[in-house]
Amino acid sequence: MVENTKCECGHQNSIGTVLCESCGKPLFDEHGTSLLEMRYDGVARRSQKANPTWIGRIWNFFSSVKVAVYLIVITLIGATLGTIYPQENTFINIDPSTYYKETYGWTGHLYYLLGLSRTYESWWFRALLFMIGTSLVICSLDRVLPLYRALSNQQVRKHPQFILRQKVTYTGDLPIAANRPRQDPAFTANGHTAENEAAVQWVNEMAGILRKKRYRVRTDGTALLAEKHRFSRWGPYINHIGLIVFLLAVLARGIPGWHMDQYLGFPEGKPVKIPGTPYYLENEKFSVEFYSPEEVPKLKNKDQVVPKKYETQAVLYECVEHCGASVEEPVLKEVARHNILVNEPLNYKGLMAYQFDYRVTPQLVSVRPTLKNKQTGEVYGSFELKMNHPQETYTVGPYQLTLQRYYPEFGFENGEPVTKSNEPKAPAFVFIIEGPGLRQGGEPYIYFPREIDKVNFGQDRINAELGSRLELSVDSMEDVKISQFTSYLNIRVDKALPYIWVGAAIFMIGLVMGIYWQHRRIWLRIDGTRLSLGAHTNKNWYGLRREVADVLGKAGILVDAKSLETGGTVRES
Amino acid sequence: MNLDSISSSALLIAFLIYCLGFLLFVISITGKKWSNRDPHQHAKRWGTIAFIVSAAGFVCHLIFFFTRWYVAGHIPTSNMYEFMTFLAMMIILAFLILYGIYRSPVLGVFSVPVGIIIIAYASVFPNEVQPLIPSLQSHWLKIHVTTAAAGEAFFAIGFAGGLMYLLRTVDFSGSSALSRREILGVEFTLLVVAVIIGFVAAVFGFHAAGYKAQFSTQVVITDKGGAQQEITRYTDYVLPPIFKPNGGKLESMTPFLGMKEPLFETPSWMNGNNAGRQLNTVVWSVLFGSVLYGLLRLIARKPLGAVIQPLLKGMDAEDLDEISYRAIAIGYPIYTLGALVFAMIWAAEAWGRFWGWDPKEVWALITWLFYAAYLHLRLSRGWLGKKSAWLAVIGFVVVMFTLVGVNLIISGLHSYAGV
Repeated sequence: MVENTKCECGHQNSIGTVLCESCGKPLFDEHGTSLLEMRYDGVARRSQKANPTWIGRIWNFFSSVKVAVYLIVITLIGATLGTIYPQENTFINIDPSTYYKETYGWTGHLYYLLGLSRTYESWWFRALLFMIGTSLVICSLDRVLPLYRALSNQQVRKHPQFILRQKVTYTGDLPIAANRPRQDPAFTANGHTAENEAAVQWVNEMAGILRKKRYRVRTDGTALLAEKHRFSRWGPYINHIGLIVFLLAVLARGIPGWHMDQYLGFPEGKPVKIPGTPYYLENEKFSVEFYSPEEVPKLKNKDQVVPKKYETQAVLYECVEHCGASVEEPVLKEVARHNILVNEPLNYKGLMAYQFDYRVTPQLVSVRPTLKNKQTGEVYGSFELKMNHPQETYTVGPYQLTLQRYYPEFGFENGEPVTKSNEPKAPAFVFIIEGPGLRQGGEPYIYFPREIDKVNFGQDRINAELGSRLELSVDSMEDVKISQFTSYLNIRVDKALPYIWVGAAIFMIGLVMGIYWQHRRIWLRIDGTRLSLGAHTNKNWYGLRREVADVLGKAGILVDAKSLETGGTVRES
Repeated sequence: MNLDSISSSALLIAFLIYCLGFLLFVISITGKKWSNRDPHQHAKRWGTIAFIVSAAGFVCHLIFFFTRWYVAGHIPTSNMYEFMTFLAMMIILAFLILYGIYRSPVLGVFSVPVGIIIIAYASVFPNEVQPLIPSLQSHWLKIHVTTAAAGEAFFAIGFAGGLMYLLRTVDFSGSSALSRREILGVEFTLLVVAVIIGFVAAVFGFHAAGYKAQFSTQVVITDKGGAQQEITRYTDYVLPPIFKPNGGKLESMTPFLGMKEPLFETPSWMNGNNAGRQLNTVVWSVLFGSVLYGLLRLIARKPLGAVIQPLLKGMDAEDLDEISYRAIAIGYPIYTLGALVFAMIWAAEAWGRFWGWDPKEVWALITWLFYAAYLHLRLSRGWLGKKSAWLAVIGFVVVMFTLVGVNLIISGLHSYAGV
């Protein structure tokens, strides 16, 4: 059966239309008295029109607000599940397969087995977000185009059924003379029936009052359409666009190079390469400050101290030469310098370094030992000895020191000297010293920069006779450079961030447009002396009623705002 | 008299003025039937007086806020006490704004008490000025916290409006399954309010009586040098310990009604700061609240909702629906801006990521999704009246869980807000 969708005014509507797109006459329930369904102005949404193909079916599914609300509610419940126990990503070094069981018992283990310890990375949670995104796009497209068409082709003179079945209506006789036909040939030639001049005048007067209320008014003889803040109707679609931009920006972080996130430790005074970049970052000095007890009244636990400031004085270098894994020292060029605080990260061309944590890790950085003649006390000079990448040779006065062996953490294994790690925890240097009074080809000399190692490992005993003639030692603590702290920084690149903010901004603009303004329309027509007025808003009916009552009052019709309500609520579907 | 004490007295004065304002709003409604007066005139006159009094309370509240700001040197929104007093201030402000729009004294009868209860709730927490830890040292503390609280304040008014709508429309004499369910729902909501009052009463009551108990727990901490060491941590209880801390050892305890040691141990899965003490407090609050509710119920001999209903007789149900919805609609963009957008900007600046699925963040998102569902159901699916009112009531429960519950049960980055 072909549905007859032609209205009595002659307009051909598409299938699914509720109110005639032209005159507004209800196409269903023509003689009813219930309130009209005014959503999207009664035009057919795309999803209601065609015979659905399979694409159409998917479209129809996602175009439903009911489905959208279900998706929101399921996502909401899913998100709560992830907050029952801490997520895996909140820990840095755990084995989740045992951690949850040990910490929270069998419920924790179940939580882990169900994959809830990674709720927000799970396929189903991502699928939900993806479906919400799809729903946003389809819901918006399905409605915005027909609505745009309907609102841009509005007829001034509406069917009385349309006017009087609005939620806010007024009908009554005007104190004007009835049916004095107007003798203006131009007027009747316009296609109107003869109309009451007084009625036209009343409508024009009304138009003036409404314009003062900042309505945009169009009249058509004895009919009037006043409208304001139509732009607020686009608010929801704009905020949906914002959300889509936001979600796309989140997805864009998957593009290679757009997103980097790593945690690195930076001991003081040693540039550390940032993997995956040409940059090195040096923590020149880290400092931590605590509030003094006077500043913190009534601490609950005496062992608790309240931190005041964490600061890493950072220098960022770019590697300009020998950057690969070559033997040669990379050549670094300083590009940025910043004191990193918790709320003040370093930012160099999108490479961000955030203060994350710190550790007390006392370690030698370098010493400046002096070469002396032990017998005469003569001082030959001193040199800078670094714990990391020490130089091969040093010239001190008449002597030449060649580094033969370096043990960052000296120790013995099966009676053989070895280094236990690459950390300078107990450094030992074996030099071949050449110079006056020494054998041809030099003599070996072992040097322990730390006094404790020197005693424990017996530096003087190993050096034997040479040790009684020459001595390498530091004179004061000024000649010792120690790294007290290792600062842990979170190094990030997030190229999607600007798009995230753009999405959020568009969303906010749309939200404010749609919520803080309301699209209000008032239709009226005079038939004889009978005024029929209907008004519609997409929200805040209270305000609309007051405004209509006020406008009518200014035109001499005193009504109580509340009495304009035709009663009943919009049908619930 | 120094500024610090001026600040505290200003809050106390504001609290008392709000109580007076509340009583005046009640008079403006109940006094309509007093002899020889025009009910409309009466409501208008007393409503205006009550409004002015509440506004005066708000001014005192502002004095409290700004003097404390001056004393602390940073905006007083950095711990639970400060945040809750600020939230209460925003609730009163939201009420004043909506009263300006709708001029409905009944709104005062319901909104002002929400503010009063939240101030009372705040006063349970330690009110010393605390210095800011590094992650809070940012101008976003001002922007994020204040806007989020302002949005939540409007949700609170939405809650008050929704509850009023339900009290106005639920048929308390009905015996159908539906009305029985509705009565149950309303009574449960009132019970929850009683529990919050019970919480404040319990803490103040026992504190005034000088009650004390102390537990010690052994905790392993990792110091900054990377070494692990075991230390003893002490937890003080102001309420008799029904639940002791997980693994806690009783150090000292004032006997209470023959109870010489704690009855139960807090389960280990509660992860919040001082979970044991907080659970114990919740149990006491529920006990006190239930007793309070039970007593009122015994006196009234009918559902409490039925007692309140006559107050709302003159009120148009649809107007209540509108007020509740309007409050939420006004609050939603503010909440989005404060609790999500500003929060993300700050998180990006302080922690290097705009979103990290921290429990507090997740719950802020849940709140947001909940109200998004509310708006969609209302605007596109035509959910008006009771359905909408229930959502407004439940929504505020979600808000309060986000603000209080998350800190109680779950530990996370925002746990500094807890006590």
